[in-house]
Amino acid sequence: MPMDEGMRAGRRATARGPGRPGPRRFLILAPAVALLAALVTACGALTPGSAADPGRPRTVPSSTAVPDEDITLKLTFADAPAMVDALVAAFHRKHPRITIEPRYTQFADYVKSIKLTMASDNAPDLAQYAVGMDDIAARGDILELAPYRDAYRWRAKLPASALDQLSGSRLTGPGRGAAGKRLYGVPAGLSMTGIYYDKELARRAGITRPPRTLAEFERQLAAVKRAGMTPLGVGALDSGGLHLWAALLNNAMPPAEYRRWIKGERGATIETARALAATRKLAEWSRKGYFDDSAIGTTQNDSTGQFVRGRSVFLVNGNWAAGQLAQAMGKKAGFFLMPGARPGARAVSSGFSVSYAVSSRTAHPQAAGAFLDFLTSAEAQKIVSDNGFLPTDEDAVPVPRGVLGEVARAHRRVTADDGMNHFPDFAAPAMLDPLRAGVQKLMAGRTTPEAFLGSLQDVWDERYGGGGR
Amino acid sequence: MSRGGRTARRPSGVRRVRGRRRGWLFVLPALAVYLTFAVLPALHTAYLSLFEWDGVTLGRWAGLDNYRRVATDPALRGSVVNALVLVVFFSFLPVVAGLVTTALLARHRRRGMAVWRLLFMLPQVVPLVAVGVTWRWLYGDDGLINETLGGIGLGGWARAWLGDFDWALVAVGLVGTWVLSGLCMMLFLSGVHKVDPQLYEAARLDGAGPVREFVSVTLPQLRGELAVALTVTTVAALAGFDIVYVTTGGGPGEETAVPGLLVYRLAFSDGKVGLASALGVVLSVLILAVVYVINRLARPERTEA
Repeated sequence: MPMDEGMRAGRRATARGPGRPGPRRFLILAPAVALLAALVTACGALTPGSAADPGRPRTVPSSTAVPDEDITLKLTFADAPAMVDALVAAFHRKHPRITIEPRYTQFADYVKSIKLTMASDNAPDLAQYAVGMDDIAARGDILELAPYRDAYRWRAKLPASALDQLSGSRLTGPGRGAAGKRLYGVPAGLSMTGIYYDKELARRAGITRPPRTLAEFERQLAAVKRAGMTPLGVGALDSGGLHLWAALLNNAMPPAEYRRWIKGERGATIETARALAATRKLAEWSRKGYFDDSAIGTTQNDSTGQFVRGRSVFLVNGNWAAGQLAQAMGKKAGFFLMPGARPGARAVSSGFSVSYAVSSRTAHPQAAGAFLDFLTSAEAQKIVSDNGFLPTDEDAVPVPRGVLGEVARAHRRVTADDGMNHFPDFAAPAMLDPLRAGVQKLMAGRTTPEAFLGSLQDVWDERYGGGGR
Repeated sequence: MSRGGRTARRPSGVRRVRGRRRGWLFVLPALAVYLTFAVLPALHTAYLSLFEWDGVTLGRWAGLDNYRRVATDPALRGSVVNALVLVVFFSFLPVVAGLVTTALLARHRRRGMAVWRLLFMLPQVVPLVAVGVTWRWLYGDDGLINETLGGIGLGGWARAWLGDFDWALVAVGLVGTWVLSGLCMMLFLSGVHKVDPQLYEAARLDGAGPVREFVSVTLPQLRGELAVALTVTTVAALAGFDIVYVTTGGGPGEETAVPGLLVYRLAFSDGKVGLASALGVVLSVLILAVVYVINRLARPERTEA
């Protein structure tokens, strides 16, 4: 519209000669402006937004008994519609009086609207957990689930690190409440990143087994490079670069220290000597040409497609790609975790769960709790596994064959070692872009490892500050 | 806002005032809509820019802190610089292309001009998101551009254009050039169409060559179209979002981040509604200033009028 405005102004001036708004015009404009100002201050009168309602419950009730009545729960989610439909149907067969109505939203829109959705008075009863849920928990829009965890004995049924990832951050209050750690969601299925490799191409470079140490992996990368092939496929246009950096970091930084940083614990920092070493390693690999030149301009999906077509020997990606790779490459595809410094080191990887939280505005917390507990059942775990997620209960499903089995076995090791770390962007909602852009700059040699870590810590400081709560 | 129109003929001042009031009555419906849906939201944005607010919880008064941050944060400042670079590709190149085409075609009226205009207009008809997706394929690793380079023996030049720190902004800019050149050509060609052929004839009789004719006849006659073209394309460059969002998402690094993209990201991903509003306000002021200058320059000199 500014164009129209300007054009009109120009024409007016020519029609009337050099026109300056006369005093009469001002007489009309002044009240109009005053009126506008009044309107703006009246409807906004106040500061934008609203404070949390102190009257709302913050914790689920102690009783888990589902009242015997017809109940309908709304569920908003962004991942795996087919899996959610199957879970909901299976749950309904078990609890015929409880109906769950799933509502699907595309992931990108979901994470942008979830805060407002959960803050509204007609919030859905159940919601998929996403980055930024800490803010929602801190505001009291989702319920703290620790009483149900104890009543349903979820600790015995679910991996410790999966529960730990859902225990909120410093913003939701001190890490340990009276009844131990807090809990804001229950996982249905899990995800995990790692490295795929093309067994045939690897053999051509003289590689016959997955590396057991980081040094061995580096020798393999160099061997592939010497053989004239691209060693490592990375889709760094979106999140592939971040997964690679996290994989190196996981093995360099003690998990406890890393998790303190993710959860915003006071005094935590990413600017440590070990994180720096991991970051330097990534820059060094880039300098040595271990990635394709175009990695920065390639999406994760495209890098996976290139790997299938034999354009790289290794590929950084997550378990979500395993189904596609198993189908396209069959026995050729293999999987391993980024190895640590020593053989037999603690198995650490990055991952998160598709998990669900309960709105504090729900009228039926017990029914919601029954659904969350159903997620841990063998029946639900079968559905979860069939839809490409890693089960929270590994014994509920048989280990699959081929590359899917290699992923499952690696995941068992990580679970046994309590080695599942958050993805690094969970440290703050604003962390994703600096990570993506920062790794791209590292790969292109446009920033130093020190400056990269500094920029991440700046985002962290802005969120968790010095003071905190 | 006529100046009283017919009533002005009557000497009575009272009547005249009443007539003017009646004029406002006619404007009122449009004005109400404009105020409600354009002016008020703009003012509300300006108001929000004075707060530190995540979009949900209670905001905190921040005064001018957000503006200070826009001025000092290198990433935010860099995005404004990127937008100014894009002006070259979105505005300057299309206008030049349009003028050259016009100069070549204007002298000789041919039948079928309308068809050409339609062809030039086509990129405008395609939704920008589709344009972005298509160009992402073209620029891709195995895309048409790299294949072509390889085919003519320039394989060494092939690269992932949108992931290249030196070339990504240029690549994005050229998409804009492609989209907006047609618009400029169309504008200028239709502008030339309404120029009195006698002017050309007179110029030719005076012995003007093609260049002289273009400079002395075509260009001055296209002043209005030029102003429109510059305004539209500059606004497209400065307020651009779709093409960048679809092709690069602001990467690699922050090489192609533009203010429109950051406003979206800050407000909806990062929960910094205040800062996003401040950047939006700064962007609007910048655009208004540029548009004002363009229209100022394009205003006909009074001697002509």
